[in-house]
Amino acid sequence: MRLELHKVSVRNVSWGDETKVEKGTLFVNREEMLSVAMKDNRFARAELEFARPGESVRIIPVKDVIEPRCKLSGPGEVFPGFVGGMQTVGEGATLVLDGAAVVTCGPIVAFQEGLIDMSGPAADYSPFSQTNNVVLVVEPVEGLDQHSYEAALREAGFRLGWYLADKGRGSKADEVKVYEMGGPVEESARYPHLPKIAYLCMSITQGLLHDTFLYGADMKHLVPTLIHPNEKMDGAMVSGNCVSACDKNTTWHHLNDPIVEELYSRHGKDLVFLGVIPTLEDTRLAGKERTSWFNANLARMLGADGVVVSEEGYGNPDTDLCMNAAKCEKLGIRTVVISDEAAGTDGKSQGLADAAPEITAFVSAGNVNEMIELPAMDRILGYDSSISNLSGGAGESLRKDGSMFVELQAIIGSTNELGFSRIGARWI
Amino acid sequence: MAREIENTAGIPVVQIATIVPIMLTVGANRIVPGVAIPHPVGDPSRDAEGDRAVRRELLERALRAIQTPVEEQTIFTS
Repeated sequence: MRLELHKVSVRNVSWGDETKVEKGTLFVNREEMLSVAMKDNRFARAELEFARPGESVRIIPVKDVIEPRCKLSGPGEVFPGFVGGMQTVGEGATLVLDGAAVVTCGPIVAFQEGLIDMSGPAADYSPFSQTNNVVLVVEPVEGLDQHSYEAALREAGFRLGWYLADKGRGSKADEVKVYEMGGPVEESARYPHLPKIAYLCMSITQGLLHDTFLYGADMKHLVPTLIHPNEKMDGAMVSGNCVSACDKNTTWHHLNDPIVEELYSRHGKDLVFLGVIPTLEDTRLAGKERTSWFNANLARMLGADGVVVSEEGYGNPDTDLCMNAAKCEKLGIRTVVISDEAAGTDGKSQGLADAAPEITAFVSAGNVNEMIELPAMDRILGYDSSISNLSGGAGESLRKDGSMFVELQAIIGSTNELGFSRIGARWI
Repeated sequence: MAREIENTAGIPVVQIATIVPIMLTVGANRIVPGVAIPHPVGDPSRDAEGDRAVRRELLERALRAIQTPVEEQTIFTS
């Protein structure tokens, strides 16, 4: 399977008569893009704003971040099941507006959404302080239930991400990156002496606005399955969830998964990358058992020598993490897990809610409870009062002068468990 | 909290929770497995009568558990 990512570099964003990319600037026809956003009768109003790197802007509460992508060639369309029809993706060529992002925002849906600061101390903790953001701020129609509101905003994000990329089709790519790899049988035969590694991508699949979608299918109703890494880059997996901001995998994270990137770059050199196993975090104990057995069994049937496990969220998913590692290890498959920690504001509490002696290799993505002082910003996109209801915030978080004192978990992507952050740790 | 109530006040505690491994990790002594994380003590996927039956069964099991002497962490599955 061969996929070319045609990356058009975006270094600025500006309003224009025509939506297009020219000399590194993404021009946006506001009316046209708004009409794409409003193709949903569940919105009463919508507004578009820009947030550029370095600006004194706070976006809150953020639901999702989407990198603009569309297919140039090959079967299907990005975000299958939402934007395109229903075909598997991951082949041909995909246009990427590299450095641009669509950020979706509106009155709070649920308590687990977060903020992005484009400058100041929080900017260091979120990759989206470095992207040129087109921010959609909506107001739902009166009386719209939470689930319909979440769905409407989620779908609008994909629609707008596709729209921006679609309008950039005429642009010449600054970089073309090729991802080419066969299936696990073929690649294992090609490199018989290299260790074979699978990637377990744990996703929040718990209902009540905590869901992840695979090809449009609500993953909580699935059992774990196998996809080619290229499929992830075309939006096969998308976020539909309001889990804690710090460690939710936004759609942007799924598209730019650093674990996929790293395993790909080492494929054929010091390992064989077998593929991605999108997997669940169930709300029932039996579901967690079933899922982890399926994961370990899938890894074994693929002939995996090792598995990289990433978590999404914290708390009960720590049990899924432990079960996944323990069951793989018992089958003789080595594991490394990536997770953040909820270790209290002083960092002294147990990091995970659960533990398993089989976990011998653990990569920490940071402590979600670490407190951070955020200065006031000149411009607020959205509703900063919502911090009082967000995870990581409290009634007294927002001060009269607009500054805030919050936990890291209020910041989108701050302790991302795919490792897409600047937080690192080293032994001292 | 379950451990502290037992240690400090000497009152036996039974914990109804869904993710039993976490209860074992944190040291709860009497554990009754709940239904699901969003609804540990009931099952809204059943009709009102069925939900009520689940609730009553869990409560009665918890009351039995609290009266049962234990020497080690114990899971009450029935």
